[in-house]
Amino acid sequence: MDKQTEFVLRTLEERDIRFVRLWFTDVLGFLKSVAVAPAELEAAFSEGIGFDGSAIQGFARVSESDMLARPDPSTFQVLPWRGESNGVARMFCDILMPDGSPSYADPRFVLQRALSKAADLGFTFYTHPEIEFYLLDQAPGEGRTPKPVDSGSYFDHTPNGVGHDFRREAITMLEAMGISVEFSHHEAGPGQNEIDLRYADALTTADNIMTFRLVIKEVALEQGVYATFMPKPFAQHPGSGMHTHLSLFEGDRNAFYEAGAEYQLSKTGRSFIAGLLRHAPEITAVTNQWVNSYKRLSGGGEAPSYVCWGHNNRSALVRVPMYKPQKDQSTRVEYRGLDSAANPYLAYALLLEAGLKGIQEGYELPAGADDDVWALSDAERRVMGIEPLPTSLDEAIKVMEKSELVAQTLGEHVFDVFLRNKRAEFDAYRSQVTQWELDTDLPVL
Amino acid sequence: MTTRDGRGSTERGRLVRLGFVDADQASDCIATLSARGFFGSEDRFEDAWLDALGQVANPDQALLSLMAIVLAFPDDQAQALGAQVDTLLVNRLVAVLGASRALGDFLSRHPAQVHALGGASLQLTMDQRRSALLEVVGADPMVACPVTNLPVRAANHALRIEYKRQLLQIAAADVADHASMPWVGEQLADLASAALETALAIARSEVDDSHLCRLTIMGMGKTGGRELNYISDVDVIFVAEPGEGATEEQALRIGTALATAVIRNCGEANAEGSLWEVDPALRPEGKSGALVRTLASHTAYYQRWASTWEFQALLKSRWVAGDRPLAVEYLNNMAPMVWAAASRPDFVSNARAMRRRVEETIPAAQVERQLKLGPGGLRDVEFSVQLLQLVHGRDDFRLRSSTTLSALEALSTYGFVGRDDAAELDRAYQFLRTLEHRIQLVHLRRTHIVPEADDELRAIGRSMGFVTDPAKELVTAWRGHQREVRRLHEKLFYRPLLDAVARLEPGSARLTLEAAQARLVALGFADPAGALRHIEALTSGISRRATVQKALLPVMLSWFADSPDPDAGLLAFRQVSDALGSTPWYLRLLRDEGAAAERMARVLGSSVYASDLLLRAPDATVMFGDGELATAEPGVLLSEATAIVARQQDSNAAIVAIRGLRRRELLRTSIGDVLGQLSVNQVCTAVSTVADVVVEASLQAAIREIETRTGAALPTRIAVIGMGRFGGRELGYGSDADVMFVHDPLPGVDEEVAGRVALDVANELTRLLAAPAPDPPLLIDANLRPEGKQGPLVRSLASYAAYYARWSLVWESQALLRAAPVAGDRELGEQFVTLINPMRYPEEGLSVEDEREIRRIKARVETERLPRGTDPKLHLKLGPGGLADVEWTVQLLQLKHGFAVEGLRTTSTLEALEAAADEGLITRDDANVLSLAWRRATHLRNVVMLTKGKAADALPTLATDQAKLAQLLTRGESTGGEVIEGYLRVTRRARAVVERVFYG
Repeated sequence: MDKQTEFVLRTLEERDIRFVRLWFTDVLGFLKSVAVAPAELEAAFSEGIGFDGSAIQGFARVSESDMLARPDPSTFQVLPWRGESNGVARMFCDILMPDGSPSYADPRFVLQRALSKAADLGFTFYTHPEIEFYLLDQAPGEGRTPKPVDSGSYFDHTPNGVGHDFRREAITMLEAMGISVEFSHHEAGPGQNEIDLRYADALTTADNIMTFRLVIKEVALEQGVYATFMPKPFAQHPGSGMHTHLSLFEGDRNAFYEAGAEYQLSKTGRSFIAGLLRHAPEITAVTNQWVNSYKRLSGGGEAPSYVCWGHNNRSALVRVPMYKPQKDQSTRVEYRGLDSAANPYLAYALLLEAGLKGIQEGYELPAGADDDVWALSDAERRVMGIEPLPTSLDEAIKVMEKSELVAQTLGEHVFDVFLRNKRAEFDAYRSQVTQWELDTDLPVL
Repeated sequence: MTTRDGRGSTERGRLVRLGFVDADQASDCIATLSARGFFGSEDRFEDAWLDALGQVANPDQALLSLMAIVLAFPDDQAQALGAQVDTLLVNRLVAVLGASRALGDFLSRHPAQVHALGGASLQLTMDQRRSALLEVVGADPMVACPVTNLPVRAANHALRIEYKRQLLQIAAADVADHASMPWVGEQLADLASAALETALAIARSEVDDSHLCRLTIMGMGKTGGRELNYISDVDVIFVAEPGEGATEEQALRIGTALATAVIRNCGEANAEGSLWEVDPALRPEGKSGALVRTLASHTAYYQRWASTWEFQALLKSRWVAGDRPLAVEYLNNMAPMVWAAASRPDFVSNARAMRRRVEETIPAAQVERQLKLGPGGLRDVEFSVQLLQLVHGRDDFRLRSSTTLSALEALSTYGFVGRDDAAELDRAYQFLRTLEHRIQLVHLRRTHIVPEADDELRAIGRSMGFVTDPAKELVTAWRGHQREVRRLHEKLFYRPLLDAVARLEPGSARLTLEAAQARLVALGFADPAGALRHIEALTSGISRRATVQKALLPVMLSWFADSPDPDAGLLAFRQVSDALGSTPWYLRLLRDEGAAAERMARVLGSSVYASDLLLRAPDATVMFGDGELATAEPGVLLSEATAIVARQQDSNAAIVAIRGLRRRELLRTSIGDVLGQLSVNQVCTAVSTVADVVVEASLQAAIREIETRTGAALPTRIAVIGMGRFGGRELGYGSDADVMFVHDPLPGVDEEVAGRVALDVANELTRLLAAPAPDPPLLIDANLRPEGKQGPLVRSLASYAAYYARWSLVWESQALLRAAPVAGDRELGEQFVTLINPMRYPEEGLSVEDEREIRRIKARVETERLPRGTDPKLHLKLGPGGLADVEWTVQLLQLKHGFAVEGLRTTSTLEALEAAADEGLITRDDANVLSLAWRRATHLRNVVMLTKGKAADALPTLATDQAKLAQLLTRGESTGGEVIEGYLRVTRRARAVVERVFYG
């Protein structure tokens, strides 16, 4: 038994933990949980806890037999919102086959595979997400239209604002769970907030994002409001993105940094960006996986609808932030396409593989875009070689279907399940008659 | 014989007798030495010196080196040395000079170091070595972080000289004082760690603020195990923590600089050469990982990422230099993880993979002379001992030693391996390591290859105490020990399992039943209690069979353990053994043909199908013998089958024998398949050929039966046409035989009468092949005939002609693409082919409507024919990119272009695909994708049959079945998940081609 496991078992005893929730994630990025009593945990560490995979989205069919969830003791945390006595704790799990080999249906394994490929090339992959979400006055329900909790805007400090208390409470709770928060502020939309997590290796970050979404929803519940990560809940307000800063390290050295290069960006960094750009359309169905995601992407303003990069260009898909002297280690690129409702394991795996492909094949970085790409005409964009991202889930699916990169990264099983699920989602959407159609057509037709 | 100076003859004779090879050269050297007065005034020491030189490994070399040393001394010192003959110092000197040319060179550069060889004992403690080395570089050994006060170059120079001086002493103790191999390994490891400490002291003078970093160097591998070679890479791991007032970032930066400098100080060559390469590759993430990590970072890595072999490497981890308290902390953090490694779920499969790597990674050119790698090599011993430590060390602290030999001793003392085996292994290991030492000592060069040249072998043989015919004796002894080690797996791992269930006198240490079960589980047995029962049954008693099996079982268990289903393999072996009893040839086969037992174990442990065929008639065990696996010639098989029919007047009896023949050939093919000796195509061909023969012979039996019944010769000619995979010669183990029957009445015979008789023959044939019998039936399926089940089973050639002229549909043309005569009247078969050729290769190609019809049927089949609840993707036949997809695509091209392109007029899918690509009807890339998918699906279909013993068109969905499949397919290189993933990838690509080429 290793020390971490011992620590977990000891803590269970000391803190009088009655239940441990074993967390894992389905293919769409929904958190799943199995509760076990502490007594069962020791067995769970060595053998895993069996469960019926067929009930979980995307897990069925890989194998008919039970799957195993084996908790990762390094992710042990006591859940702060359940009170101090009779506490509940959680751990993330790897999903295993009965013979102990990892399951190809497990999104966490998708990311682990991508990370270990990066490790074979000598890289560690770090990410740092800026997660946006809306706070609404009530939960959605029959005949109810939730409204934002305030009417503030970017960086507003609203007096007695729900949002302010909310952020303080949420950050306290996140920190209590070992998730460091870098930054938080009111975002541009009314009721919209942004919280930035500190950078960490991609697997930890993805775990943290899963925790983060739950914490935010729990804190909102406690405060009588409702939090949503829906990519674009209001047509007239900005959508909720999850801009993510990406960096590769070779040992302790930032592989994107090169003193004296343009933007202090190394050859590796440039090829990585080129990879992100070239493969951006095919990974969009994953980074923006909902019908609603495309309402954000084509919403104008700062939404990154076009495949281009720029230095501090707030309309580009990939942005290279300003280099700060003496901060070699913080050289990074920001991918702005992601939204807050993506499955972080799959999305990060694809961003990494797209970038690595650029590095391995030595892609040349196209010229950067300095202009606001939204302000350009279609013809201008064509001339400059700036392609649009897919404009609907349907289009994104069609590009993804042909992608060898996505199939290899996700693995054939997840690739197939994901596409089937998304096709079904789009089919369901297509069969709807929307309020907009009723409003525009009914009066005149 | 007269010579120039009248003295040479006796001189030469004496030198040769003493052991000099090049007497002329020796004579010259002696003259030179003599001229320097080395032998004293009247050469009174000459005889004594020559006698001493004659004792050593390589007298010629020793004498040459001695001369060089003497010439390097001033005259008086040379004479003083000469007078010391017969002292301890001189005996050691000549022994070293005879064993090591490199140390001779060193002494000729630094003759004064000769005096290092005096003194009663050459043993030094670790502290003495450390102090001596630190002092020569001007560092204070008493402080926690010694720093050199010499310039780096000078320090490195001094380090090398002192290092060699101590090495000289160790070598002298080795070859002159006959120190034990383990002692030499310990001393060398201590010297290496003292050298690392000194290299670190030099590094501290090169790196600014070195006090801000607490750096410790952990020895790994042979350094860690204190069993080092004279010269080999020194495996280390660096751990750093911030010193007082430093940040982690600073500590890592400084630590990395220090580590880099240590590596350079040891590895860089100057006038005195280099020490050795410092190899930090065992660190987390290997070569791509950070050179230096903090303790927390190491711990996190091993908690999260490390794989089993990395824990195995940690077994040997030991502090060698730098900050000692940090090393203690490091070891405290690692130990629990190391000892928990055996309980990781993937331990068994990882351990298997590691063992395979140990056995297989030998550069082919060096196999013969390798000491370290390959079966019977040193690595083999070390690996096996470590694995046993991991399995049993978790519960038994007494086994936790980092040195191979002491671990082996502990394993033996506490009954985990047999006492005699351990002792034998200990001897073999010591011999091989000593041999390695002596080889390396000559040139102080890192090598694990036994030299080939006779004089080199002779010298090494002499150094190891072989005197009569040193080269030959050495090689014989080496091969003997190598053989001993090669049989070590079974001895170490498996023989104690036999002892565990044997009735031994009480009190002797042996494996407990619990430990035996733990070991069986670690080796991959799912039901250890059952396995122990089988072992007991196979080995108990005093019969000849029990004796043979007792000797054989340990190694067979190792083969079972490597196979997909060890439990099933062992059980089947027990069943075969029970059935054959003490049959003499069986025991002989097992005992004398080592390869036969191995083949048998691998097949029984891999294939339910083959085991089942074998158990139906265990006599077939003979097939595991040498040279039994070659597929029989079709003609020979047919003669045998025809002879059976001729011999057995009763059709039922004949058919039993013919089906026995088929079972035998299927077994032969499946054995070849399991052992990886046959390609997919070869398997298909072999299975199809047997089916041809069986159908032909059964047809003969059926005809005879009908002729007997009617009392008249057959009034018609009959031919059997193979359809589908049968016609394409692509049958799998579980395939039915798709056929059509055609007959042609002899001139003047009434068509209706002839038709009735022909129908009787067809029915009789079908009945015979399906009749209940101990051997697997060959099911005849004639549903592809015109009008399917509603149509007559047999038609005349004329009736076929009339039918096809009037009715035929495009799907029938498609089915005919695979029609080929397989039995019966050959001429009639050819006539049938001529009849259908215009149907299947229409001159005008395919009409737009027909092409659309084919696509439509295919699209419907895809959704309708799949069994409910099956995952289409795992369906080998009907799934996307599976067999049907590829075959329909090829067949569409055949229908369209078969008339024009000769190569397309074949019943073989792959041949037609190849022809289509040659003709440019499909791109080469697309053809390759389809061909790969088809072969993969066909292969998997066969393998599913082999592993499960039941025909199935879909890949298994149970993870355990998938794992077995993967084990058989890839010998454990891949998990079940990886095999499925690979199949899905291949078929996804194939489906994309089908979408384009077939659906257009």
